[in-house]
Amino acid sequence: MKHPMRNPWIYTLFTVPTLILYGMFFLWPMLSSAYYAFTDWNGLENYRFVGWSNFAAAFGDPDFRRAIVNNLIFIGFSVFVQIPLIVLCALLIASVKRLRGFYKTTVFVPSIVSTSVIGILWGFIYEPEVGPLNRLLALFGAGPVYWLAEPEGALPAVLITNAWQWMGFYIVLVLAAILAIPRELHEAAVVDGANGWQRALQITVPLIRPLISVVVMLSIAGGMRVVDIVLVMTKGGPVGATEVMASYMVNEAMGINPNYGFGTAIALIIFAFALLLTSLYQLTFGRRMEGGQF
Amino acid sequence: MVLRRVVPHALLLAYVAVVLFPFVFVLFSSLKGSNVEIAADPFGIPKTWHLENYAEAWVKAKIGVYFFNSVYLSFTSALAAALLSAATAFAIVRMRFPRAGRWIYQTVLIGMFIPGNVLFIAQYLLVMNLGVLNTHWALFLPYTAGALPLGVLLLTAFMKSLPGELEEAAIMDGLSSAGLFAKIVLPLTLPALVTVFIVNFLGAWNEYLLANFFISKDALRTLPTGMVGFRDAFQTNYALICTGIVYSVAPVLVLYAFLQKQIIEGMTVGSVKG
Repeated sequence: MKHPMRNPWIYTLFTVPTLILYGMFFLWPMLSSAYYAFTDWNGLENYRFVGWSNFAAAFGDPDFRRAIVNNLIFIGFSVFVQIPLIVLCALLIASVKRLRGFYKTTVFVPSIVSTSVIGILWGFIYEPEVGPLNRLLALFGAGPVYWLAEPEGALPAVLITNAWQWMGFYIVLVLAAILAIPRELHEAAVVDGANGWQRALQITVPLIRPLISVVVMLSIAGGMRVVDIVLVMTKGGPVGATEVMASYMVNEAMGINPNYGFGTAIALIIFAFALLLTSLYQLTFGRRMEGGQF
Repeated sequence: MVLRRVVPHALLLAYVAVVLFPFVFVLFSSLKGSNVEIAADPFGIPKTWHLENYAEAWVKAKIGVYFFNSVYLSFTSALAAALLSAATAFAIVRMRFPRAGRWIYQTVLIGMFIPGNVLFIAQYLLVMNLGVLNTHWALFLPYTAGALPLGVLLLTAFMKSLPGELEEAAIMDGLSSAGLFAKIVLPLTLPALVTVFIVNFLGAWNEYLLANFFISKDALRTLPTGMVGFRDAFQTNYALICTGIVYSVAPVLVLYAFLQKQIIEGMTVGSVKG
């Protein structure tokens, strides 16, 4: 008798639906993107191959170059501003006993709320006339600042909203790594006379480096992926001040004159950038931090 | 010494205040009568509670419709993805086709490295060619498919940790491989299935990009896109917009209050593994 775990029919039944869906929505889009990216297809029947000209057109467009810079600003802001604050908050939460659960539960809340609702909510906070931020500034005699309507104000406003949404998520991630450090290490350091700060900087931070490395990778991926918050809050405006690559792609490809060929070329550029940045990081800083429990 | 105990709490409470302030502000504003009242005292508790805002927003914003669409799309796609991933993980881990199993696992994992928005236009064209643009299939299919890589990853890891003796005993008792999956492995995998389901559910519940471009009929919209449309339509009535925000945030917060452990675990485990 054949072993029941070798039944090819059951095997097919269990794997093929997943493979079909996955093939349709991951592999096929990847392949068809690589095809359309070299055409000038705009949704109508006729299209022709245009070689690399979509890519050349993208990099030749100052708006797109600005979008690339903005993506890099998103990444830079999360790596150099958010991550130090995230580690600090996680260290603080780990250092207290009372209310630890409360802090953890509360800081995590923004990451379960949908980005579009957060965009609406913060758009209200930045509202020039009645928004609380300007009311607060008015108490000090400043303002009103037209946060989302001025090129200088819009990008910081969106960056801060994005940080507000995701910091708690990473704090909880880092906190878990800190709490997983064996207690004996700290006790030994206490015996050696190390104070709280010395222990945090010389024991805890080095030990959670692998996880910080993961957070950096996730920040890079997140900075390349960012789009919802921009579309909801500013649609890339004013005058391209908050445009990121993905919003540029959506605005170009799905606008009144759709240009799918151009859009898929942008998609491939985003993908290439994401791969390039993560592998660059892996090869330079990431490797030194590998080898931990994560 | 007192200072050393107080300072961390002071800093953390300040951060908690920053996190919670927008929610409290929106809740208060939703109960205020007019923009004038919000502007005059943006930080204050409403003087009289204008609960009628809630009835008005429910009707005018069709929040009931968006809400229902979001609930059932998130629920069905999360469930479908969890079951499909479980079946595939079972086939990979437990069934005796090692080479095919490795191949399937590797292929599906590639999906974890592709940023979602890279596939967006090609998925739009696919959905258009399938003729399901502007139906809920246009969201159900990509939501389900999008949740598969992580689901397969997490459930394969979990099923590997289940003891193999169970399988032998069940087969001695005459169970088929499908019976073993349904009667033994699935119930044992329940904790991991719940985690996968929650992550899928929240992902679909919050999704904006596909929902915005694949659906243009108002009656088919989900909460994230419906809310943006509502905001654009009622630009100047802040109290009403805040009411809409309360409606869309409250259910997630209630869910979070009951399932915070699973939600936190699911979301963080998923991201680190990815």
